[in-house]
Amino acid sequence: MSGERRSGPGRRTTLLLAALPLLFLAAFLLLPLLRVLGIGGASLGILGQPYFQGRLLWTFWQAALTAVLALIIGGPLAYLLARYHLPGKGLLLRLLLLPFVTPTLVAALGLLSLFGPRGLTGLDLSETPTLTLLGNLFFNLPLMVRLGYAGFLRVPPSLNAAARTLGASGWRAALGVSIPLAWPGLAAGAVLVFLYSALSFGLPLLLGGERYATLEVEIYTLTAYQLRLPEASALILVQLSVTLLATVLYLRLAGGAGAGVAVARTLPRPRGRAALATYGLTGLVLVLCFAPLLAVALRSVSGRAGPTLAFWQGLFSSELGNNGPSLGLMLGNTLRFALLTLLCSLLLGGLHALAAFRSRSRLLDLLSLLPLMVSPVSLAVGYLLLYPGLRAELPLLIAAYSLLATPLIVRSVLPALRAVPVQVQQAARTLGASPVTLWRTVMLPSVLPALRGGAALSLATVLGEFAATLVLTRPEWATLSTGMYERLGRPGEQNLGEACALATLLMLLALAVFGVLDGGKGEVI
Amino acid sequence: MAAAPAHIESWAGVSTPFVDAKGSCMKKMVLAGLMALISAASAQNVPTLTVITHDSFDLDKKLIAGFEAANHVRVRLIRGGDAGEMLNKLILSRANPIADVVYGLDNTLLPRAEAAGLLTPYTSPASRKVPAQDRLGPLLSTVDTGYVALNYDRAYFAKAGLKLPASLDELKTPAYARLTVVESPATSSPGAAFYLATVQELGQDGALVWWRSARQNGMKVTRGWSQAYNQDFSLYGGRYPIVLSYASSPAAEVFYSEGKLKDAPSGNLFLPGSSFLQLEGVGILKGSRQPALARRFVDFMLSGPVQADFPTRMWVYPSVTGVKLAEVWKFAQQPDVKLAPAALLSRAQALTDLWVTEVLRK
Repeated sequence: MSGERRSGPGRRTTLLLAALPLLFLAAFLLLPLLRVLGIGGASLGILGQPYFQGRLLWTFWQAALTAVLALIIGGPLAYLLARYHLPGKGLLLRLLLLPFVTPTLVAALGLLSLFGPRGLTGLDLSETPTLTLLGNLFFNLPLMVRLGYAGFLRVPPSLNAAARTLGASGWRAALGVSIPLAWPGLAAGAVLVFLYSALSFGLPLLLGGERYATLEVEIYTLTAYQLRLPEASALILVQLSVTLLATVLYLRLAGGAGAGVAVARTLPRPRGRAALATYGLTGLVLVLCFAPLLAVALRSVSGRAGPTLAFWQGLFSSELGNNGPSLGLMLGNTLRFALLTLLCSLLLGGLHALAAFRSRSRLLDLLSLLPLMVSPVSLAVGYLLLYPGLRAELPLLIAAYSLLATPLIVRSVLPALRAVPVQVQQAARTLGASPVTLWRTVMLPSVLPALRGGAALSLATVLGEFAATLVLTRPEWATLSTGMYERLGRPGEQNLGEACALATLLMLLALAVFGVLDGGKGEVI
Repeated sequence: MAAAPAHIESWAGVSTPFVDAKGSCMKKMVLAGLMALISAASAQNVPTLTVITHDSFDLDKKLIAGFEAANHVRVRLIRGGDAGEMLNKLILSRANPIADVVYGLDNTLLPRAEAAGLLTPYTSPASRKVPAQDRLGPLLSTVDTGYVALNYDRAYFAKAGLKLPASLDELKTPAYARLTVVESPATSSPGAAFYLATVQELGQDGALVWWRSARQNGMKVTRGWSQAYNQDFSLYGGRYPIVLSYASSPAAEVFYSEGKLKDAPSGNLFLPGSSFLQLEGVGILKGSRQPALARRFVDFMLSGPVQADFPTRMWVYPSVTGVKLAEVWKFAQQPDVKLAPAALLSRAQALTDLWVTEVLRK
């Protein structure tokens, strides 16, 4: 099969498919990055300074620790979820997407409401690295669980059953059979968690203070505030080489993970120790991932003097008041930008996945992940210099959003494409199906769930993140998240309360989107 | 480095309904989105005046619409980030300017803007109404003034029966430093202003020593105003009852309590050498293709209706004399500080670099 795929016309089709996504990457990632690095070169000398060495060490250390913790907590839960029937499992998996859309500021507010000096838990973790780690887990644990779950689903249950029949205990069967088979998926998840945590920006910016700033935060400070681009470039290069290494590792591991096909089956209910572990771990993940969100929702209805609806009322009446853009405008913009981004990233990501699938090119695979490896902060300067005509224009905003959303589509669709058994494709062709029919009746239906899952995530990046800070924005582009930032920029209880109400609204909107798009089974990334 | 009490994270909204895309079906939304794309890209017959502001800029949209109608112009507002970020963006792109007019540069940033040759001189006739000592020269017309100042949580000090510190010297002792959160001079406008105030009071070396020992004794330094105020200030559940904010913040607290508060929950702590007078201005960028309209926009920012509108939005004082302030401003006090001397302001950038290497990275 690979022989005919690599023949002349096949390669030309692949190139044609890849042309648009690659052009997009060149225009909105490669060129801007090179432009920034070209301004003053990179003063690598600063890497000798103890201050920056400390930043470097802390950045990669906290990322590695997060990855290990996510693996320890998320791995076993993923296994148990794949093995046992649990009421509301679909809902749980869908809910786990929520932290993804949570703006970092909301996560920070939530964590501080729980673990701040006067937090609900009574435990004060502010200004400790523990808080940053908890934040990292909040964002990344869901990723680990969902990835691991997808990995374990692909392990044929018959293998596990065979081990049990031959006398192995449940533990032995898990350790000896399922985990080795699902390991590439789990490890790939851990590497991805490392990647996300190593590049994390918002959370250390808000929770880390000056002491626990990450590289990305330093790059931002050097670029945006101190205009020391050569020093920033040195950090960008270090960051890029580490993330590149991690990504290559991820692709190698993930390449081995797409072996089997998820099999539908009826699962037993967990009993005894398995039940204890399942419910215990589920509880732990729920607390880690949802307590901060609930705390924010709670804050939106509690003022200094007790329970209140004033913040919600303020939000809905702000069309009249002078407290920023109206709710209608913010909601409309959020939906509009999300939809435009979805269209762009579906097109770009779909083409990219197809090209990578047809060509089996590792390079194309790697390129699709590039936007997750490069510091977005540095791209902003590149845009400013390269495209004067696009400054503060909507296409640039949508391009920036799409750049961040596209990898999520590719990561969802590509494994699904690869998981369609070759025999099925061949059978269809042998039975006389034309290539078009093959795609319409076999391939598309097989990847649809993954496509929907990817679409949900790509929408999430727009709903939640402040990618908008990448480009010059306009006041009439106010979205739910920018409206939240605006309110947090002013003193007064009403502003903080309305920000929490907006955050709650954003969560509800995200839930609705996931309900429509993702059935809870999407094997995302 | 925005001057109003709203910072990196703020996106004050002058919202003109762009395209209202609350259509019932998906098709409508796609269509609306595409239309917006097209309309944004296509030039219109009416000339466009582009105005870049810091994120805290907020003005009644009816006033802007009035300016547009009176001058047959479309005003395109751009958010440049916090004022320090905005200045850097303007410097980076000066060969091909982003905008015609810039609002939000202040007296601490003007020397750098001047050195970079960003602005073109214009003296608005309306600036006659600005007191002479508040004028910023021909490059920037003063629109508003404000005071960066320490605030304290009144309930905390009353409950603890604690005396307020009386000097910077006392503030840096462990007893008070561990109760204090300030913003970083490197990443925040109030932080930079406070730092300049300490340099003016204690001298360059004295100020560096002060910052180092205050930090050692437990003073927290955060990145921006929003973190310091919303996360660390004890009024909002934080650990620190003394916060670096603005002298107008107590009034804003009362204003945004929606009538619940009859008195300010926070108070101003005016220690000698801790407050800073900030003047924000509007100027015309070199290379503007609409110089005549740009000049009219400068005049507009100094006009009576605009000057009366922004005080309860941006929490700064109007620069023009004789503008009536809302009742709530009685909860804001004005510290007795003079404008920082030009010799100090021209070294602002070098001083910040010094702080980064000598205080932050030590």
